[in-house]
Amino acid sequence: MTRNFTARTAKQQLESGAAMLIAVFALMLISVVAVALVISSGTDSSLAGNYRTATSAYYASLAGLEEARGRLLWKNQDFVNKTGSYSSVFDPSGMLPAWGLTSVVYITNPGPGETVDPTGGNPANYADTEYSQEFPNWGLSGATVLPVIASDSPGVSLPSGGTLPGPSYKWVRINPVTEQSLQLDVNGDGVLDGASVLFYDPAHVNTSNQPAPSLVVPTVPSTPPTPTSVQALEITAFAVAPNGGHRLLQYVVAPLIISPDAMDQNFPAALTLDGNGVNYAGPGTNGFMVNGQDQRSGSPLLFYSIGYTNAADGTNLVTAATPAQNYQGAPPGPGGPPPVPSHAPGTIANVSPTPATSLLRQSWMTPATLDAVMQDIENSADVVLTGSVNSTEISNAAPLMSPTNPMTVVVNGNLRLNGRGFTGYGLLLVTGTLTYDPDASWNGIVLVVGQGILASNGSGSGGFEGTVFVAQTRDSSGNLLPALGGACFGSDSSCGVLGFGHGHHGFGSGYGSTPGFGIAYNSFWINGPLSSTGNPPVAGAQGPLTYKVLSFHEIPLPN
Amino acid sequence: MSGPTQSSRGFTILELMVAMAIFMVICAAMFGLLQLSQQKYSSETQMSGSFQEARLGIDQILRDINISGYPSQAMFSKPISSASYAVSPFAWDPGYNGVDLSGACQVGVSCDPIPSGFDLIVETNFGSGVSWIRYQLNGTTLLRAVVPKTVNGDPASATLSALTPFVENVMNNVPVVSGSLAAQITAQHPMMFQNGSVPLFQYSCSTPSGTQPCTSPTAAGYNQPQNIRDIDVTLIVKTPQGDMQTQSLQLMELTGRGHRSNPAN
Repeated sequence: MTRNFTARTAKQQLESGAAMLIAVFALMLISVVAVALVISSGTDSSLAGNYRTATSAYYASLAGLEEARGRLLWKNQDFVNKTGSYSSVFDPSGMLPAWGLTSVVYITNPGPGETVDPTGGNPANYADTEYSQEFPNWGLSGATVLPVIASDSPGVSLPSGGTLPGPSYKWVRINPVTEQSLQLDVNGDGVLDGASVLFYDPAHVNTSNQPAPSLVVPTVPSTPPTPTSVQALEITAFAVAPNGGHRLLQYVVAPLIISPDAMDQNFPAALTLDGNGVNYAGPGTNGFMVNGQDQRSGSPLLFYSIGYTNAADGTNLVTAATPAQNYQGAPPGPGGPPPVPSHAPGTIANVSPTPATSLLRQSWMTPATLDAVMQDIENSADVVLTGSVNSTEISNAAPLMSPTNPMTVVVNGNLRLNGRGFTGYGLLLVTGTLTYDPDASWNGIVLVVGQGILASNGSGSGGFEGTVFVAQTRDSSGNLLPALGGACFGSDSSCGVLGFGHGHHGFGSGYGSTPGFGIAYNSFWINGPLSSTGNPPVAGAQGPLTYKVLSFHEIPLPN
Repeated sequence: MSGPTQSSRGFTILELMVAMAIFMVICAAMFGLLQLSQQKYSSETQMSGSFQEARLGIDQILRDINISGYPSQAMFSKPISSASYAVSPFAWDPGYNGVDLSGACQVGVSCDPIPSGFDLIVETNFGSGVSWIRYQLNGTTLLRAVVPKTVNGDPASATLSALTPFVENVMNNVPVVSGSLAAQITAQHPMMFQNGSVPLFQYSCSTPSGTQPCTSPTAAGYNQPQNIRDIDVTLIVKTPQGDMQTQSLQLMELTGRGHRSNPAN
């Protein structure tokens, strides 16, 4: 028994050793395969992760820029100066920026349990190191930092009780800009000025009197260089993705105010026919007026009744404007009673006798640049309608439009402005033909730019309170014209369009028997404020409609 | 009692041969598995490398498109020269002279060769002055050039000699690659190349009816380079070698959309 036991033990020991070797060898092979697979999938995951990080940080930063841009606008429900708390960086209207040179406002967006302190200097709290690069003369320590604003986009509550996180930007900075901060020699004087905040002048022209809306350096620091200029602001957003990617993006923006006037923020006339070979065919009735006297209560201002831009069109316009006493306005003088009829034809004036003395901005006198202004309007519109539409469709699309809630309505196509009792408020842009039934009215700014046709054959008691501007920038195929064409204001037949009056088509030999009251210049509806008691006040039809993006770029960050 | 005990008898030759045969089979299986693993790893490494290269490439292209047109003319009341700002966010050829108001270059209609589905020049300043950044697909190599903008310069000729390889093995333009490869690609990936070539760049223009493909009839009159608002970038790359196991071509398609935010003057 003992011997047999010993022999079995030796055999088992020999066999178990071989098995172990084989097992270890097999395990090693399997391990190699497993490790290779793990490494492979790990590489894929990290690559995809890097891509997500870079992209998400970019879009998060962009979201920060857009939040700040939106909250600078008076009609945004989270307008930064909604309660007047930031009145020190807005003008007396409370709507337009008037940042001091060193003023800085931050919007912060910390994640749960996170501290975001861009002014503190602690990198762990996402310190803003860029400001001191842009403004080295005083840096953040010398800046006037206003109370920080909390982001309005922390996340979206879900029905299940959870929360969908908002964009992961950390902070957004709003401040004025200088040549030095932008590293751009705006006025070409060879110096990067760091002491003057920059303005944006949409009426600016170059040395050849060609339209060149641009940033401008004021001659007196911090003072608007022209009545048409508005302050430009810089918005900088910093975003960090959850797994570390970071991006710093920057906008330069300026408030968009719609005005064609080269001298101020008004319109030159109650009706402006901008172009060459323009056609005016008024109804010639006693009740129809084109009145350049500002109808705003207490206003002494006088504007032209009809403004045109090509001297060759003047004679025809004056001849067509009958009876003459219905075309009142400037001249003869400020305020007082309406000018006597014999002076009335003088209120129909060439508003652009020469480029240098033009009342109209040069950017409103070439098809391309005028088209660009209309694009700006469309980009900020509350409602954009396409095709052939009428007032009902405007009402349906803008049910909240009211005297204290003016809207920007763009019709890309033809509009039939009709409907007894319909009154629109705000800015109306029509790129096709505006066929007008005087049963309806519009209070504000009416731009018929594109095909440049405003025609009417109907009857009614309505009209336009504010101003009307008509220009042809495109031919019937939609191609941009080399120069402004012959805009038309008149009856359907005189403008070569089909009429609609009371079910008839193309009957138009003239207006209906009561072609409305016409056009009355009214700065209340144009400029506002429409409500001085509101908080904030409500702007007129001209806006500011939005904050126009003048530039966008990315600031490189060290990895 | 004097014969050899069972414990010291050893293995018979048969036992040894069977054991060795089993061991060899196991080893063969293990090495086969190891080879499979190595091939898989090699393929994955190639995929990763190509993906990495393509990702970095498309990321750079999108960044350049996003900041195209910076700084615009609107940033200067009196620019020192036309080289100090971006006259147009995207240059073109022939006849580049800034903003094209004449409609001489209509994207997808009369712009030849730039901008097109395989050739693009971005005009922007990314920190070292306004430059022309060109992307051109030449065969299966995406080339890139960056040259400083010059007054009255021709961006097409200025960038041509500066083009250097940027992303290799780009398969978008199948018809120009070798015949056998083209046939192989279209056979193995018919869905990817339904219409033959896949444009690297597809343009959308700002129109009164919103942003639309520049080649759309409704974009007529608005299809000049200065109206390009979005560019969809599609990058199809192939790994340098086929799959180690199946020998099939390994392709990956990356897409992204670049959006111009700067005004076009």
